[in-house]
Amino acid sequence: MKKTIQIPLGSQHISLLEPIRFKFECENEKIIGVDADVGFVHRGVELACTRSFEFKQVGYVVARVCGLCAITHSLSYTLAVEKLLGYVANDRIKYLRMLMVELDRIHSHMLCLAHTAENAGFEALFMQIMGDRELIMDVQEAISGNRVQFDYISIGGVNRDLTPELVAMIHKNLGVLTSKIDALIGLFDNNWSLSLKYKGVGVLRLEDAYTYNALGPLARAAGLATDVRAETSDFPYEDIGYKMILESSGDIHARNFLRLREIVNSITMCQNIVNNLPVGEIQEKAKGKPNGEAVVRVEAPRGELFYLVRGSGQNMLDRVRIKTPTFSAIPAMIEVFKGAEYADAPAILASFDPCMSCTAK
Amino acid sequence: MFKSMLEAFLNLFRPIRTLKYPAEEIVLPSGYRGLIEYGIDACIFCDKCEKVCPPGAILFYQNEDGTKTYRYNPWLCIYCGECVRACPKPEEALWQSETKQLSALKEEGANEGWFVWEEACKQSREAYATAKKSAKIQNKSEE
Amino acid sequence: MRKIETTLTTLLRDIGAFYEAKKWHFLSVNGIDLGEGKIELQWIFSQYGVKDEVVIYYALSDYETPVPSIVTLIPSAFMGEREIVDMFGLSVDGAESGLYLDKDSLAHPLRGES
Ligand code: SF4
Ligand code: SF4
Repeated sequence: MKKTIQIPLGSQHISLLEPIRFKFECENEKIIGVDADVGFVHRGVELACTRSFEFKQVGYVVARVCGLCAITHSLSYTLAVEKLLGYVANDRIKYLRMLMVELDRIHSHMLCLAHTAENAGFEALFMQIMGDRELIMDVQEAISGNRVQFDYISIGGVNRDLTPELVAMIHKNLGVLTSKIDALIGLFDNNWSLSLKYKGVGVLRLEDAYTYNALGPLARAAGLATDVRAETSDFPYEDIGYKMILESSGDIHARNFLRLREIVNSITMCQNIVNNLPVGEIQEKAKGKPNGEAVVRVEAPRGELFYLVRGSGQNMLDRVRIKTPTFSAIPAMIEVFKGAEYADAPAILASFDPCMSCTAK
Repeated sequence: MFKSMLEAFLNLFRPIRTLKYPAEEIVLPSGYRGLIEYGIDACIFCDKCEKVCPPGAILFYQNEDGTKTYRYNPWLCIYCGECVRACPKPEEALWQSETKQLSALKEEGANEGWFVWEEACKQSREAYATAKKSAKIQNKSEE
Repeated sequence: MRKIETTLTTLLRDIGAFYEAKKWHFLSVNGIDLGEGKIELQWIFSQYGVKDEVVIYYALSDYETPVPSIVTLIPSAFMGEREIVDMFGLSVDGAESGLYLDKDSLAHPLRGES
């Protein structure tokens, strides 16, 4: 007689925001085997980038890969093309780009925290965090002119500048948010029912993080010191107070805590950027046609985003390779699920912060 | 633990967090990226806006007398503003307003109607190009 | 970015000698269509804690030659391998099709026309 039963999670499930299907092989309550199916929303973006759009337009196409990390996608693509054109942005452009990326990280991490809280059965906390997240969404909307699709970065610069009113708004909202995040840190640390659901659940060991090439918050929560912000020199992150944040226990609690601490770090960075904004033009001319091959890595909220762009001096590119963070995190995710209880699966899944529209692109 | 219970209790007496939309208007921040607007008088018909537009939301129809007609699909537009940055006469010929586009009705033919128009524009160009060519040949043979 | 040429037959040996789990982060497998039935395959690595160190192993091949799988060396590579199976219609040992496309899909979007 067969001892195991198969329980699917997804592709539509109340705890999932996006279509992904896990097939769990369960022995009683324990998960012993996992199979993941991620291709429900494949849209062929890589193909469209080389067949239908010219290289100047592709930045706006790749921004549509994902709603949450729209800015990191267009940034990585733009950086890759700028490398091919031999153009280096001035400091003001770099700072403004970093500002948007860090704001994006704050609100994406908050979404993940809210979602983990909801999947652990804490609906009120979900609402509260989502409400606070609006503070950042408002700032981003005011800076870029749109709430989700920022279209802020273009080849050779950024599209809008900061005005004094915006600076005041950024300071005000970040100030309010700091106190809210402090309260959340206390809550996630001390709340008894949350710790029941989080502590020691969904552990990724450091060894496994190395073996399965975990990345982003997932790896850092397990103690693996990897962060693209520290591993590339495209942006002067050290100058604006970047600190690598590490946890060691690798469970859901560690991932949540890591995200909270990264939010605090990002808030500091944003304030530093706004206070020390260099002077300069926000749009410069980047002339020529992309010729050659360039790779770009950018730390998206969920981990490393990788772009490889190859052009041959024409308006159409030869290849745009997009490797998204969740895509590479799936082997590590599968490892975490093995040995966990089925009932914990939604909370574990939410703590990975999976982004399916990125993965399937 | 008790702190969060106290918080939860106090929340009963705090003001409501949500917006009262639609009873109250939502105030958008200024600089909202809205519809693209066009001023025919200043336009020099350089077609730059048509070329840069990522989704192809601006098209020019080539009339037989050599003039062009501007056509814009507000539902296809992604409001990126590339066209305005490309335009040699921004603010006069082409500018971005703060108006929001409402969803399309079926009669407005946001998709099918636009496909027809795209085809028509393409054909008008080709027809104009061939007409010009044959006129040139004629001119030459007359000489 | 450093590019190191390899061939499909020596791939496992080269990557086996090169890869250390605690030093290198495996990024992805990538394919680039070169036209006329040729393809360039790439295995991309980056180093932990070192700035701008990306190493790309690449091999030139065609669509018919089966590609060896590196999952024995790098267990997380199976996702990338399944992706190139779908997108280019290559055959990789042990990698199933059907990650993005239908299992029996005949079209391979990124494969060049020829
Ligand atoms: S705003 Fe962007 S999408 Fe809209 S018409 Fe202009 S270029 Fe096209
Ligand atoms: S870019 Fe400006 S001037 Fe040129 S065709 Fe468009 S609207 Fe007219």
